[in-house]
Amino acid sequence: MNVITTKGVEKIYNPDKIPVKALNGVDLDIEEGEFTAIVGPSGSGKTTLLNIIGGLDRPTAGAVEVGGQDISELSDNQLIDFRKEHIGFVFQAYNLIPVLTASENVEFVMLLQNQSKEKRDARVKELMEAVGLEEKMDKRPSELSGGQQQRVAVARALASKPTFVLADEPTANLDSSSTANLLDIMARLNKEENITFIFSTHDQRVIDRARRVVTLVDGQIATDERR
Amino acid sequence: MIPILAWRNIWRSPTRSLVVIMAVALGIWAALSLSGFATGMMKSYVNNAIENSVAHIQIHQAEFLDEYKVEFHLADAGKVEQEVRNVEGVKALSVRSVSSAMIASSKGARGVMVKGIIPEDERMVSTLSEKIVEGDYLSNKGKNSILISRELADKLQVKMRSKIVLTFQNLDNEITSAAFRVTGVFDTGNTPYDQGHVFVRRPDLNRLLTGEVTTAELAHEVAILVNDIESIEAVAKELQEALPALKVQTYREVSPDLELYETQMQSVSMIYLVVIMLALVFGIINTMLMAVLERVKELGMLMAIGMNKLKVFGMILLEAVLLGVVATPIGLLLGYATITYVKNNGLDMSAYSSSLKNYGMAEIIYFDIDPSVYWQASLMVFITALIAAIYPALKAIRLRPVEALRSL
Repeated sequence: MNVITTKGVEKIYNPDKIPVKALNGVDLDIEEGEFTAIVGPSGSGKTTLLNIIGGLDRPTAGAVEVGGQDISELSDNQLIDFRKEHIGFVFQAYNLIPVLTASENVEFVMLLQNQSKEKRDARVKELMEAVGLEEKMDKRPSELSGGQQQRVAVARALASKPTFVLADEPTANLDSSSTANLLDIMARLNKEENITFIFSTHDQRVIDRARRVVTLVDGQIATDERR
Repeated sequence: MIPILAWRNIWRSPTRSLVVIMAVALGIWAALSLSGFATGMMKSYVNNAIENSVAHIQIHQAEFLDEYKVEFHLADAGKVEQEVRNVEGVKALSVRSVSSAMIASSKGARGVMVKGIIPEDERMVSTLSEKIVEGDYLSNKGKNSILISRELADKLQVKMRSKIVLTFQNLDNEITSAAFRVTGVFDTGNTPYDQGHVFVRRPDLNRLLTGEVTTAELAHEVAILVNDIESIEAVAKELQEALPALKVQTYREVSPDLELYETQMQSVSMIYLVVIMLALVFGIINTMLMAVLERVKELGMLMAIGMNKLKVFGMILLEAVLLGVVATPIGLLLGYATITYVKNNGLDMSAYSSSLKNYGMAEIIYFDIDPSVYWQASLMVFITALIAAIYPALKAIRLRPVEALRSL
């Protein structure tokens, strides 16, 4: 079953002044449970594609369907709610809320979803264990290493039980062992809980672990390799 | 979680938050102190007026109030006095005869209001007897003693034991004059009042007004103090019912300036508050704007992961309100301490006293405040913080997550 379908997605920045075509007709299907890396040189449109799939940006042309729903028709506020329910984000710079503890960061999205305290507490515990940080629940991001912060970010991304997780260069700021550790966790969650992961990455270590690699060149899909 | 988040957010930059908190607290303090000063000044003015002569309630023949013509006296002063004494809540009264007159010495002449009093009765109603700075308080030695103010004595260039002449119209509309000897000099601290009033014994004045020897019954004015200041209106109403032919007035009606003063104080306090809060708006806007602009990326992330605009907006508003919530008790406490201290110890304004005296103000101001000003101030801070946070909050929700996330 497809969780994401893009049809002829185009994105043109600065259409009025100096138009830059970031995406030029991307047709992509992502199936449930896939572990997909979107790769390509800088400026190839990886982040743009991720932003559009994630409902953070709108395509200039084409359609994006998530779970059968065309998200390009949603208003800004509907998109925010859509993201809250369906998409988990992992950012390159971790982007945790600095004034909240690790467990509060994970809990936050569930609060936005108005989940009960019992559910939240159980899920926080479960996720913090899954990312191996049950000892660091009450630490603030500034007290955690980069790798630990990114693991918290993964736990946060999963807290809302999203349809899929988007990770924009999640390992760009991490050392080798943290990267390996993070990838292990994500691969395990993918395998055991059938969570769909989509990465944009330059990182060969990530590409090596991916089960599908989509290569973008000049805003178009150049290769699409399933392993 | 959002209140917790907002609370922790304001302590990200403790110095910046503390600066704005202190600014708000000082603003409240200043507003309360100014209000305390103004109210204290008003009360001193009103109390001075009440104590010096107006008393709480006055009774006249209605026509007397138009031109102060002596013929409009209380028909039967003794009966009126008895009626007044019968009314519950009346603490003391002084029956006065009143006439406008010309007072003249060899050096000058002025128009004054002559009040004929029974010194013992007057002592119960006004503080005149305590304001004697030279001589005595119409102690019963000889006829035609007069009590004049320091101000008037200087104007007329007279001293103790000097003779001065009062000229006025008697009941038969004839001009009559009599010599009085200055036996006492008073100073109430209220220049306009002092310059315009002299006191003689009532029988002395009555004799001149009527041409008869003993006419203690003639009187124009009954000045009354009540036991409980809150009951003035009620007592006045009762007196009016007991004396339908006469005009009963509270001090607010006798001296409309006093009522104006009293009613103005509320608005004056409000104006102080509004002006100070207006200045604080900009301080809070500045702080909140900085707080938003340095968090662009984080706000973008919050909206990316699903925090809707209403919640983001609310969070920024809440941060501003929390700054106010911290500042308000500090400001209220500072204000309360200042007002309480000055209420008990007074603020010596004697350096400016000559100008204050010209307006009938006391030299030492004892702060006072309507307790409602405290919650008004708190409410104003709350509103101010909300208003000030609107622009920064709008700025926050106008961020586009995809751009905000890319910012540094």
